[in-house]
Amino acid sequence: MRETIFQIHDLRHTFKEKKVLEIPRLSFEKGKIYALVGPNGSGKTTFLKILSLLLPPTSGSLFFCGENPWGSTRLQTLRQSIILVLQDPLLFNTTVFKNVAYGLKVRKISREERGERVRKALQMVGLAGFEGRRVKELSGGEAQRVTVAQALAIDLEVLLLDEPTANIDEKNVEILEEIIRRLNRENGTTIIFTTHHMDQAYRLADEVIPLFEGHIVQSPVENLFHGRVVKSNDLSLFDTGKILISISRPEKEAKYISIPPQDILLSLVPLSSSARNSYPGKIISLRENKGAVDVTVQAGEEFKVRITKNSFREMGLNLGHQVYLTFKSTAVKVF
Amino acid sequence: MQFIWEGIVGAGRLIFSLDPEVYEILLFTVQVSIFGTLLSALIGVPIGFWVAISEFKSRPLFVTLLNTLMSLPTVVVGLLVYAFLSRQGPLGSLGLIFTPAAVIIGQCILASPIIAALTLSAVNSLDPRVALTARALGADSLQAAWTIFTEARFALMAAIIAGFGRVIAEVGAAMMLGGNIKGYTRTLTTAIALETSKGEFGFGLALGLILLAMALAVNAILYRLQRGER
Repeated sequence: MRETIFQIHDLRHTFKEKKVLEIPRLSFEKGKIYALVGPNGSGKTTFLKILSLLLPPTSGSLFFCGENPWGSTRLQTLRQSIILVLQDPLLFNTTVFKNVAYGLKVRKISREERGERVRKALQMVGLAGFEGRRVKELSGGEAQRVTVAQALAIDLEVLLLDEPTANIDEKNVEILEEIIRRLNRENGTTIIFTTHHMDQAYRLADEVIPLFEGHIVQSPVENLFHGRVVKSNDLSLFDTGKILISISRPEKEAKYISIPPQDILLSLVPLSSSARNSYPGKIISLRENKGAVDVTVQAGEEFKVRITKNSFREMGLNLGHQVYLTFKSTAVKVF
Repeated sequence: MQFIWEGIVGAGRLIFSLDPEVYEILLFTVQVSIFGTLLSALIGVPIGFWVAISEFKSRPLFVTLLNTLMSLPTVVVGLLVYAFLSRQGPLGSLGLIFTPAAVIIGQCILASPIIAALTLSAVNSLDPRVALTARALGADSLQAAWTIFTEARFALMAAIIAGFGRVIAEVGAAMMLGGNIKGYTRTLTTAIALETSKGEFGFGLALGLILLAMALAVNAILYRLQRGER
C-alpha cells in the first residue's frame, strides 16, 4: 500500500452561500496520477485550489502528508511542495528564464542551481535555448509549455493541473501528456489534473474521480456513453450512434453522458410519465451488488440499472425478459 | 507685435548664451522638483498600492478622497501649508517658511495624491491572475505583493513622472511657500510670474520655453513608458 498524500474528511466548501463542493471521504496516494472529470461548474477548479492549499475549505479537514496545513505554522512550507498550474495561466512580463525561475526564487534556491534547473526544465518541454526570450514573443503553445516548465523546475510532491490541455492544439496535447507521464514516472510526483475529456482521463490517470455538482459520483462512471449533442426542434438530444437520449444540459462541446443506475426506472410495461427517455430492452445479466441487484439491459445501448432486492423479487425478473427503461432528462449527466 | 518679437529674440539670446541666472533657476527647479517627487513617490506609491490590494469598508470613500486631492488647487495647498509653517503657525518655530524645504513640502502634498491615485489604478488594471499565479507557484503573500509591484512597474514609473509633471509646472505653492527669493527659492514658474509683471517679457519667455521643453520631455518619457507596457 502506498503512502497517502491527501486525506479528506467531510470537506465542504461554499461560495456566496452556495455549496460548491462536498466530499465526505477521499484520499490520494503518493506517486499516482489522478484525473478529476466533470462538466463545468462541477467544482473541479475549486477542488484543485483547496488541494493547492491556497483556499481553505469552509469546513471539514484536509490532511497533506499527515499534517493539517490550516492549523500549522508550516503552511507556507507545505504549500511550497505543491504547484497549481492554472487553466488560463499567465506569464510575467519578463524573460522566459525569469518566469521559469520564479518558483525557485520564491523557494530561495541559489542562483547557480536556478540556472541549471531552468535549463533542464526548458529542455524537457522542448524549449531549450529560450531563456532570453521575452514572453511576449512566444506563441500560445510555447507559452503553455513555459508554464509547465515552471512546475518542472521545482522539486514537487504534487503537481496540480487545471485543464492542462484546454487551450492547445493536438500536437501539444501529446507532448504535454508525455511530460506528465515522465514527471510521474521519473520523479514520482503525484499529479492531479482536471479535464473535460473522459478519454484523456482514462488514458493518463491511474484513477479517475468523476465530480458532479460538487459531489463525487460513482467511480467508475456507469452507463457512460460516447457521442455528440444534436438538436431536434427544441429538444436537446445526445446521439450515441445507436440511440438518441434526451438531455437537459445542452453543452455543445459535450462528448460523454452518464446515467446513474439508481436513476433509471425498470418496468414490465411501458410507463406513461413526464420522463423524456423511455426504451424497451432485454435483460442480459443480473448481479447482486451490496444488497441491491444490478440489472443489465440491452436497449440499443447496454444500461445498468440498480434496483432493490425486494423489487427484484416482486417483479420476478429473469434473463431474457422484456423490460422498459425510463429516466428523466435531468438524470443524464453531461460531460 | 514688435513687443512679442523682441521678447522671443531676447529669450533665444538668454537660452543660447547660457545665461547664468536662467540656468541657476532651472537647476534649482529641477533639484527641488526631483526631491519633491521622490518624497511624494515614497508616500504615494505605498498608499496607492495598499489601497489597491486590501479590502476595507471605507475603500470607495478613500478612492474618492484621493481623486479629489488630485485636483487640489495649488494656491489652496500653499495657503494651508503657509498656515502651519508661517512664524505664527503651529510649526512656525521650525523656521521652514520661505525655504526650499517649504516648497518641497507643498510639492509633496500636491504630488502624493496623484502618484497614489495612479498607483491605485495601475495595480487595479493589472491582470488579476498575477497574484493568483504568484501564489500558485509558491510565493507567500509578501512575495506575491512584490510580484504585483514589478508587473506594474511601467505604470508605476508613469505615475511618478506624472507627479513630477505636476510639481514642476505649479506656481501657487512655490510662490506662497518659497517666497520667490532670488538665488534661494526662485523656481521657473515663480520667476516667470515675477519677470512678466516687471515687464521683463524676454526673460519670462526664455524661462517659459525651458519649462515647455521640460513638459515635452516628461510627456515623451511617459509615452515611451506606456508603450513599453504593450
